[in-house]
Amino acid sequence: MKEIDNPIEAPVDQSRTNPLARVFDELVRFCRSRSMFMLHYCTGCGAIELPPAMTSRFDMERLGIQPMVTPRQADILLITGYVSIKTLKRVILTYEQMGSPKYVIGICSCTVNGGMYWQSYATAKQLDQYLPVDLYIAGCMPRPEAVLEGMRKLMDRIRSGEADGWKDYYRRYDWYLGNQQHLFGDDWQTPADVIGEASHYDLAEPGTEGEHTRLLQQCQKPLEPQQTFFQIGGSLEKKGESHE
Amino acid sequence: MRPENYQAISHPPSNEYELNFGPNHPGIEGNYALKVKLHGDVVVAARADGGYLHRGFEKLMEGRLWIQNIALVPRICVPDPVPMEVCYSMAVEALTDMEVPERAQWLRVLQLELSRIAAHLFTFGGHAATTGMYTTMYWGVADRDQVLDLFEEWTGGRVYHIYNIPGGVRRDMPAGFLDRVSRTMDYIESRLPDYDNLFFTNQVFVDRARDTGPMNQQQALEWGVTGPNLRATGLAFDVRRDDPYLVYDQIDFDIPTEAPGDAWARTLVRRQELKQSIHIVRQVVEKLPSVGGPVRTQIPNPLAWNVPAGETYTRVESSKGELGYYVVSDGGDKPHRVHVRGPSSMHAVQVLEQLAVGARLEDVAQIMFSLDACPPEVDR
Ligand code: SF4
Repeated sequence: MKEIDNPIEAPVDQSRTNPLARVFDELVRFCRSRSMFMLHYCTGCGAIELPPAMTSRFDMERLGIQPMVTPRQADILLITGYVSIKTLKRVILTYEQMGSPKYVIGICSCTVNGGMYWQSYATAKQLDQYLPVDLYIAGCMPRPEAVLEGMRKLMDRIRSGEADGWKDYYRRYDWYLGNQQHLFGDDWQTPADVIGEASHYDLAEPGTEGEHTRLLQQCQKPLEPQQTFFQIGGSLEKKGESHE
Repeated sequence: MRPENYQAISHPPSNEYELNFGPNHPGIEGNYALKVKLHGDVVVAARADGGYLHRGFEKLMEGRLWIQNIALVPRICVPDPVPMEVCYSMAVEALTDMEVPERAQWLRVLQLELSRIAAHLFTFGGHAATTGMYTTMYWGVADRDQVLDLFEEWTGGRVYHIYNIPGGVRRDMPAGFLDRVSRTMDYIESRLPDYDNLFFTNQVFVDRARDTGPMNQQQALEWGVTGPNLRATGLAFDVRRDDPYLVYDQIDFDIPTEAPGDAWARTLVRRQELKQSIHIVRQVVEKLPSVGGPVRTQIPNPLAWNVPAGETYTRVESSKGELGYYVVSDGGDKPHRVHVRGPSSMHAVQVLEQLAVGARLEDVAQIMFSLDACPPEVDR
């Protein structure tokens, strides 16, 4: 797999020369940083410290952070712990459904380097190979205070414009897709049209398309209604190819 | 989604259609999925779709030293980690014929019961949230935190303690700790009437949970159900009493049962168990000062600890049901084979698939929470 180098971009958008536009950008960033809706998808055991962080004792809501249940409503994707390969597919699907700008927080050591399960055949070890991660909260498992502190850090980073992992995903989509294909097989696809979105946000760069996206286009088949999971007649046998 | 894919969303040809319930769904306990086939909003068939939390524990354990596995096992069931440590330690002790000092046994009982209280408080919360009573969840989680504070002071970890090791426990408790345990128990007991008013006698909850997912005793026995779910069908089976381990035979407690076996009964059994656990903790607090002595038998150098060859099965009662460890040693420094007999695999796979049939879609989440299955332990 070929890796594409992409240095982290400077946060200031050079094309916005009008000072008023910059003030406006800053205002937008401030507002974004203060309305954080997070998708609490309990991917792993780190999720157990989220309920204390969300409920009466630590009360995340006082910082303006609200759990949301659907990806369409959320800005932050919390990856709470190790992701098994089966889950990673759903995580990527979820991430691509979220509207931009979107941020990813990797909670737990397992998202950094596999943690306890560095040996396991079933887990994805390094999350930032498959998704752009804006912030890691390491620990096994991080305490609610650490989660809150991480959230505040993310707020600061959003405000200062540093948290732009989502742009990175569009700019280096080919690299991310390559890693995903490496794990899931060449016929891996999601319904999202990332390349179209990249050009919509004006972020299509040389790294957006490449050998892996070409492979995607070759292997892409139109989505079909999912094969029935249940057989008519009551027997709960799975028919046809497994969707997994 | 690309426009040409829109038509992929086909209209169901009949009234029957399939729905993915989970893995990212607020009504599912953790990262777990259920595929349901519905007629209108009534479930015709259900099939569990696990594997999202699979890490291959049993395989991982074969590659680590006996003592290292202590750090691994509590991850199998996150809300209730202590029984995992205790049960694994008991298996290693059985293989090596090791004696556990009496004080360590009492400390383990204290740990187990505190863990049960924490786990049950957490479960109510989840169950209440599925019926829309979020206050109960907020209270339950906040009260559970009081127990976690005790654990933190005692062992240094809030959720994972790595405290019970083969041969005993790591260290004794800090000074004045028993007072704080009693105070916390007083606090939690004083909260129980509030929970009753808010949740257990709440008409919304009673109406929704009554006759939801009923299971009779015969079925429960056939499906291998254990723990509170079995006791909710009227059978008073409890490993703590029927196959006593540690010092449970010196402790006096009741085994609460309910007859109907529905979601309501299952939750009510847990509510009563909470009271029993508080009762047990009080007895431990009373008797512990008189039980002095060491808390740990010296084990050989853990980095070169060859456990004698043999096999064993040990079991404890976790908050979810009977938990067992089948451990085989070939005389090496690592386990040859470990199998975890978790209660949740029965509850979340066979039982949930059966009980969901005939229920309405909105009740599926309730059935799942009332069974109190622990998805990481199902997938292991
Ligand atoms: S870092 Fe620890 S708590 Fe977090 S997912 Fe990994 S094992 Fe679980």
